[in-house]
Amino acid sequence: MRVSNRFIALLILPSFALYLIFFIVPTIQALIYSLYDWSGFGAAPQFIGLSNFQELLNDRVFWRSIGNTVGILIVGGIVVFGLAFVMTMMLSSGIRGKKFFRGVIFLPNIIAVIALTTLWGYMYTPRTGLFAVIFDAIGLTDLARFPWMGPDTITIAMMIAIVWIEVGFYVVLLLAGVDKIPPDFYECAKLDGASDWQQFRHITVPLLSDVISIGMVLWSIHALKFFEFPFSFTGLEPNPSSYTVAVYLYILGFGQRQPIYRLGYATAIGVTLLLVVILVVLILRRLTRREVVQY
Amino acid sequence: MKKPLILMCVSLVLIAALGLGVVSAQEPVTLVFWSMWNETEGQARVLQTAIANFEAANPNINVEAVWNGRQNQTLVRTALSSGSQVIDLMDQDADQIAGGLMREGFALPLNDYLQQPAFDHEEVLAEVFLPSTLEMFALEGNIYQFPYIYNTVQFWYDKRIFAEVGAAVPQTWDDLLAVCSTLIDAGYAPIAAEGNEPGYAAFYLTEMLARLKGPGWLRQAAADATGEMWRDPAVLRAAQMTRTLWDNGCVPPETIGYVWPQGQTTLAFGTAAMELVGSWLPVELQTQTDPDFQWGGFSFPAIEGGVGSTSDVYALLLAFMINKDTAHPDEAFAFLRYVMSDEIQQLFTDESLVGVTNKYITWNPIIADASATAAAATSTYGDVDNVASLYSEYLNTILYPNYVSLWQGAVTPEAYIDMMATQTAEYWASHS
Repeated sequence: MRVSNRFIALLILPSFALYLIFFIVPTIQALIYSLYDWSGFGAAPQFIGLSNFQELLNDRVFWRSIGNTVGILIVGGIVVFGLAFVMTMMLSSGIRGKKFFRGVIFLPNIIAVIALTTLWGYMYTPRTGLFAVIFDAIGLTDLARFPWMGPDTITIAMMIAIVWIEVGFYVVLLLAGVDKIPPDFYECAKLDGASDWQQFRHITVPLLSDVISIGMVLWSIHALKFFEFPFSFTGLEPNPSSYTVAVYLYILGFGQRQPIYRLGYATAIGVTLLLVVILVVLILRRLTRREVVQY
Repeated sequence: MKKPLILMCVSLVLIAALGLGVVSAQEPVTLVFWSMWNETEGQARVLQTAIANFEAANPNINVEAVWNGRQNQTLVRTALSSGSQVIDLMDQDADQIAGGLMREGFALPLNDYLQQPAFDHEEVLAEVFLPSTLEMFALEGNIYQFPYIYNTVQFWYDKRIFAEVGAAVPQTWDDLLAVCSTLIDAGYAPIAAEGNEPGYAAFYLTEMLARLKGPGWLRQAAADATGEMWRDPAVLRAAQMTRTLWDNGCVPPETIGYVWPQGQTTLAFGTAAMELVGSWLPVELQTQTDPDFQWGGFSFPAIEGGVGSTSDVYALLLAFMINKDTAHPDEAFAFLRYVMSDEIQQLFTDESLVGVTNKYITWNPIIADASATAAAATSTYGDVDNVASLYSEYLNTILYPNYVSLWQGAVTPEAYIDMMATQTAEYWASHS
């Protein structure tokens, strides 16, 4: 049956209309507002050209927030994917209770972020937190008093929690890919004397390349706009030294605690973030582009 | 024949006019009120009672409340900008209104209205407010905010621990350090604090500079485009005093790992003795403290050689604001006048355990010391000596991060001074 172009267009129209209304138009509006000095209140916005972007270049807090965000993107990404691979291999090795373990690993993804930050905050609390109680019980009193959420370790503490939350999603993603690899490939490889590592490197990774590529793109987009966890993990009012770009944008534009209300400048941060996301995704797509693997 | 006809016509016109007048007075009015409270919070419940009573007394007025929570002002901003909503009045932290809607020119001046008689007292309404509350955010003589809840920032302490170790309420900074030593010797953590909470840490800087240089000095330093005011010896002294609290063990070392509310819970658990924080603390810890817990409060102590006084009060008010474009300013103010009545103000303190701005109200016993502090205030200042409302971006990007670095011991007092002086000058150079 041949489907007419007009019919295809008709089917696409609702999605395109929604995309236009909720993404394209706001994006264009954001591009426009980023060129204005505007509090977001009624007063007329004042056109200032690229001044907001110029100011960003010298904004110490913005660059610190970029550093934090890139840290989550790269360090967090390496750990998340490293752990996801290990868990995927373990779960696909024929162990009993695969579905149960997969569910348990994925569980943090369906819990409200505020509950997770509260949970991790409790675990890290010196003296009375879960880690403190465990370390006390085994006689490691110095570790029991260790300030996990202190200035030197708060980023690592946050990263550990983020990895714990995120890894489940990527395990499920990779497992779905692994499940589609015919078992014959592994059996043949075993007959040829391939080690587990060789099977992983020469069969699993190449055949998962598309899934890995999509996973990396998803992680990058997610990491670059990380907001909920850092915002609620660091207490009542996030310390500016632990801002991510999205948190800084929110603080400047929406006056959460302090009535800053620089919506024009915050929009410039948003536009910059959008450009960075597009750039990172393009780079990743280019780096992971390869021929279709067939055996 | 003509005269009676004319008289009849005139009479009919007069009757019609009078009738219209009556109709006009009874014309239904809907006041739209956007609130910072969530619907189930204690303060919201008191406001719901106030609304119900007010509507019963004024059958032609309907108050339509929208319970937005703490994002209220941002939502009001969006609504007013889009022109899609009529909002007659709203409430929020007074500092935030001052730096937001009020600065943007959305607030109705209330000076004339405040000369109306109080709801249940002989004097004019303005006289019913506690000292310095109405004027705190006045602009060129105009009062734009109607404060109704009063939080004081002061030390909150466990009276039983103080009694147990024989410590008296410290009157001076040296007294405070002595009390710390006594508490440490008795095995207590003297001061509960959060390690990474800029707003709470900055209570110390604000109070130290208010005592050393007087209220208003910090806000001048924040606005000093040269940054040189930060090189004043008083700032170095305040920075050294901050570090002394940590170095002497007044603030226990593990505090650095506390993220709100972990620090304040040590007070509830009886391991710490006091905390410099707002008068909301006893309420926040109410479910964690045992029933015999005895709260006390004292002002940040005087500092030798300082010009500030312990009667200068760090006050965090919550206030109403009437939209200047409201079609019903009289009705909106009538509602506020009722909120200021003894009945409703007493309900606020009884039911939600908060301080109030009506001078005739006895505050809930749990915060009795805050009431005494407020009543004795000779001057008041808002959050971070009003830097929060006047220069909020500066506060967030310069003052907070640098003071937290000092607070956490990441920089020395001397380095802190240099950072503040340099970055303040840089900030104002790019924000002229």
